[in-house]
Amino acid sequence: MFRKSAVLFAVLTLFAFVLSPTTEASGDLAVGGSVENFSLPDTNGKVQSLNDLKGKNGAVVIFLSAQCPVVKAYDERINQLAADYQSKGINFIGINSNHTESLDWVKSHAAETYKFPVLIDKGNVWADKLGATVTPEIYYLDSKNTLLYHGAIDNDRSGKAITENYLRIAFDSSLSGKTIARTRANAFGCSIKRVGE
Amino acid sequence: MSHTLKAALGAIIITLCLSLSSVGQGNSASAASAIPAVPAAVSVKQIDIAGLRKALTPSDKPLLVNFWATWCDPCREEFPDLVKLDAEYKGKIDFITISLDELSEINRDVPKFLTQMKAQMPAYLLKAKDDDAAIAFVSKDWAGALPLTILYDPSGKQIYYRQGKVKLDTVRAELDKLLTPAN
Repeated sequence: MFRKSAVLFAVLTLFAFVLSPTTEASGDLAVGGSVENFSLPDTNGKVQSLNDLKGKNGAVVIFLSAQCPVVKAYDERINQLAADYQSKGINFIGINSNHTESLDWVKSHAAETYKFPVLIDKGNVWADKLGATVTPEIYYLDSKNTLLYHGAIDNDRSGKAITENYLRIAFDSSLSGKTIARTRANAFGCSIKRVGE
Repeated sequence: MSHTLKAALGAIIITLCLSLSSVGQGNSASAASAIPAVPAAVSVKQIDIAGLRKALTPSDKPLLVNFWATWCDPCREEFPDLVKLDAEYKGKIDFITISLDELSEINRDVPKFLTQMKAQMPAYLLKAKDDDAAIAFVSKDWAGALPLTILYDPSGKQIYYRQGKVKLDTVRAELDKLLTPAN
């Protein structure tokens, strides 16, 4: 009996080790690729899915942090964009994948800051699947969950000298049936604090 | 008073003054040595993408580059390890740091932090017109998350690439491999 339990324990430990989240982003979702529907608990523990939360014209999945100064610098702009485009059928969905940020911390930050749900990605599973590495990081999906734009919100984290509103331009282009000219842009931000780092 | 006597008195006064002055210097020197030395503030040089291109071109040594910012917690946390690495490999490699802080911090928080860390690596602050272009120039695999540390061999090939805090043993192993002459 003891022997069987020991073997079972060893096998389970091996599986846990093999299946443990990687410490680097492993996903490589390219623009034009599709995101499968996912379900994650929000800050109140209610499980919500991408398909339930998205708007009629799609969704923005945005990787956030309660701690990152760059996210804080963008919070006002994020809220403005969420308000401006919710009425146009694009809903914002926040994801927090930082294992260093407690649920209470994320919950209070989200409640004080955002009017859209923030989902908890324990074990950075969805950050890994999508290949997200930085906060804030945007994945703009159409109504069929196809990735239309990936990356930064705009080209100036201070907000004082923006010359390229990447995300707003992507929204306006897709909503008016035009091709999105710039589908990928990066910006400096905080690394997502993955399990094991 | 004769001219000879006046000259002698003058010489005595001058000698006394010089002696007193040297005693004074001696005192101030010993007083200075009693006060703890204040490290000189680190100078941080502003670069754009052209400067970045130049900074990331190795000379005849391996080049270690750390991208960081004062607002980045893991960047600050790993800095003592970077300073340690710099001391261990001084003269054998080139090691530079590139800050992504706002330009307004170039004479404030950036040198203040580097001075606190006793960092001696050449320090730059990147102010690019287009951050996306700067990020793409550094690596196609980089989305801009800090910290980032890259080791280049003398030919410019990336040998080590780490987003997040460095793993000292891994960097040391890579550096030692690069610095060991091939048989």
